[in-house]
Amino acid sequence: MEVKEFDATLGGTEHLPSSVNCLKFAAARSVEIAAMTESILTPKKTKLVFQSLPVHMRRRVMSHNSKRLPRKLRQAHFEQLKKSGLPKQKRPSRKYRRRPANLLDEYNRRQKRVVWLETHIWHAKRFHMTERWGHRLAYAPCDKAFRACYRASSAHCLLQDISYYTPIQVSGPLELIKEMFTKVTNSSCGLGLCAKAYIEGTRQGMVHLYGKNTFPYGPQHLNEKEEYWEKISLLNSPSQLPPNIVVGLVVKDPRLSRPTRRTKAKLENYSERHSEPLIRIPSFLSNSPLWDTKIHNTIKKEKITNHQFIQLVSKTQLVPGEIYEDDPALQSIPVVLIQRPGSQCSGYKKLGYGSGWDIIIPSGYALPFWLTFIMFGARSGGLREIKNLSFEMGQYYLPPDSNAGKDNENRIQSDLRERYFKLPPSKRVNYTKIAINSPFICPWDMLLSDWTDQRVKDFFVLRDWRLLEAIQDSIKHMKSLPNVEERQSCLIPVHLKLASKGNLKNHAVICMPEPGDFAAIKTLFEPLHEDPNEKTRKKKRSEHKQLVKKLKRKRMKLKKKNLLVRNPKSNKKSPQEPSEYVKTMRELWLPSDVAIVRNLPSRQVMGFISQGGFSFTEAQSCGIGYIAYNALNMLLCNHFNQVLVRNTSSRKYQLANITIANSK
Amino acid sequence: MADENTQKKEDSKKRPKRYPNKNYAVKKRLPARPLDGANVIFITKKTNFKAQLDKCCELLTRGEKEIILHGLGAAIQRCCNLALQLEILFSGTCQIEVNTGTVDLIDDLEPLTEDLDFDAQVRCSSSIHIRIFRTAMLGAN
Repeated sequence: MEVKEFDATLGGTEHLPSSVNCLKFAAARSVEIAAMTESILTPKKTKLVFQSLPVHMRRRVMSHNSKRLPRKLRQAHFEQLKKSGLPKQKRPSRKYRRRPANLLDEYNRRQKRVVWLETHIWHAKRFHMTERWGHRLAYAPCDKAFRACYRASSAHCLLQDISYYTPIQVSGPLELIKEMFTKVTNSSCGLGLCAKAYIEGTRQGMVHLYGKNTFPYGPQHLNEKEEYWEKISLLNSPSQLPPNIVVGLVVKDPRLSRPTRRTKAKLENYSERHSEPLIRIPSFLSNSPLWDTKIHNTIKKEKITNHQFIQLVSKTQLVPGEIYEDDPALQSIPVVLIQRPGSQCSGYKKLGYGSGWDIIIPSGYALPFWLTFIMFGARSGGLREIKNLSFEMGQYYLPPDSNAGKDNENRIQSDLRERYFKLPPSKRVNYTKIAINSPFICPWDMLLSDWTDQRVKDFFVLRDWRLLEAIQDSIKHMKSLPNVEERQSCLIPVHLKLASKGNLKNHAVICMPEPGDFAAIKTLFEPLHEDPNEKTRKKKRSEHKQLVKKLKRKRMKLKKKNLLVRNPKSNKKSPQEPSEYVKTMRELWLPSDVAIVRNLPSRQVMGFISQGGFSFTEAQSCGIGYIAYNALNMLLCNHFNQVLVRNTSSRKYQLANITIANSK
Repeated sequence: MADENTQKKEDSKKRPKRYPNKNYAVKKRLPARPLDGANVIFITKKTNFKAQLDKCCELLTRGEKEIILHGLGAAIQRCCNLALQLEILFSGTCQIEVNTGTVDLIDDLEPLTEDLDFDAQVRCSSSIHIRIFRTAMLGAN
């Protein structure tokens, strides 16, 4: 068959134009173009991206590992995977994670939100950690060492890292500083910042609002200091030294003098003693290069790392394992020791209990020092031990009139509330029935308002030591209290000791005894109260049950008809806000509007215990709490000096003796 | 007879009431301790008497050759009492040797006004040191 040509020039029939009009050409094919672009933009997804590759270019785990795909397809591949859900990334192997660089990256990432102390990693391996004040801090050791920690604090050595304290250096002319600080401190609560006793810098002072000393710089008296230190190091308790003495020392690197095995922190006996260094403090004692902030950087820069230290030791030492203790290659470190006097009144607590040293060391050296202390037998404690120590010493911890105290109270309240509502209803204490309306937080402002006629918003804890002493005296002799300014908003810190056996707990209520109570204390119970919400709760619960049933039936019906559309998001459990029903039920269990405090139980409420428990120093249950001034006054006017206490989960009243709690 | 004596003493030698100094508060320090050990017991007024007695009994029955009791100031009476109790309990097998002494105590004077410095004072206090030692072998009683 003869093939006919198309073009006329080649002998065909058609005469083609010599030029093409683009627009016309495109316009004539506009429908086709539109169809093509549409199909490109929205491809029919019957295939995965990697399936579009020819077979010889496909690799086995392509859908899994996108790096096997040609690069131009990767983007599209990811887009597709996003829709179907990315495959879960496997956790990298432990070996990979533990490589030093990767580990450091991880640590740096975790430190972004909260600040870590230098000894964080050491603590994190051995302690329960909590977040507090923007830091990640050790709470309590994992071995449940209550008693061991107490024993360490009383007879051996308890060590705590308190480097989350922020030092503030105030420099300037003395007069100016004095003037500035008299505005923010109160002289009746103790010595001021610029009292003559502190100006020399040989002792540490404590000031409410701010605690900071003025320290002089001066020439070094290294030899005399060493002599003095040798004299006082013969003593067997820090409480034998002048209280709050400040000692500046220069010590050798702590890594050089570690025992190979952990030793016990035991007292050493001594033969001679001099009382002269215990009475007079030489004025050069507090001088230390540490007070110069410029030195801090040089010390940090010249610190040799552990790796360098080990290398140095292994290279230079002839006998392996032996360390030359006076190695000149390592820099000396200035440290400052500040004595804590502990208990100074033998009538209140065991003399010298809680005494010890605050050690200030330059930054960067925390861990070497820490490990050396541990190797010498110190037991480490966390925040719980700080709290317990102040409890054992009969001092109050985080008073409720400070912001820190309020924060602490609120945190404890929310924790306890959470735990309470996690219990099944049959295991919950019905606080309404035993006349306790705020079991997890002490409503100080309500208490004070109830003891006066007007509303009290701002309250304060009495710290004026002269007045506290006078109050202690009047408690002893059962006479009326001395006058206090703004008595309607005044809380008095008290230390309670149970008169007989029993157990005091946090948030217990302190009540006013009535004349007949002392004889019949064994059978003194709070009568059971009516719970008006009980019926409402039952009704609500049955209604809610019915509603749930109804909804379930509805769902089943839809499921049978295949109409049920599952919403994947609503299925996921998230710790969101509890539902309306749960909220109302909680409100019915524990009404949040506390209207009265004083006259709720059968005995008038005078105050609350903020911290209670078994005290090892007293060998019995004790508590530290606050009593409204007016309530205490009324108690003494009735010629009583004992109070009733009742735990929040109990109806039993117990008798307790009160003394004024020390603030310092 | 004894009662009369004490009565007279109280009347004649009644101490004048000590008023606190307005400038200073007296704070006490821990007294210096004599040689410490497993068989050394410091008698305090705060610890339960029965508990201390039990501790001494246990030490003696466990085979300790001697125990030493130290008492200071107001605890002297209690220390003597305890030693005598022990003598009765271990009658015939134990003997008592008593020494007395004086201990220098240091008190801190904490200033109460801004323009005063810290000070310290030395105060003397009587002390008693009682050594209780076994005379008969263990198991003899």
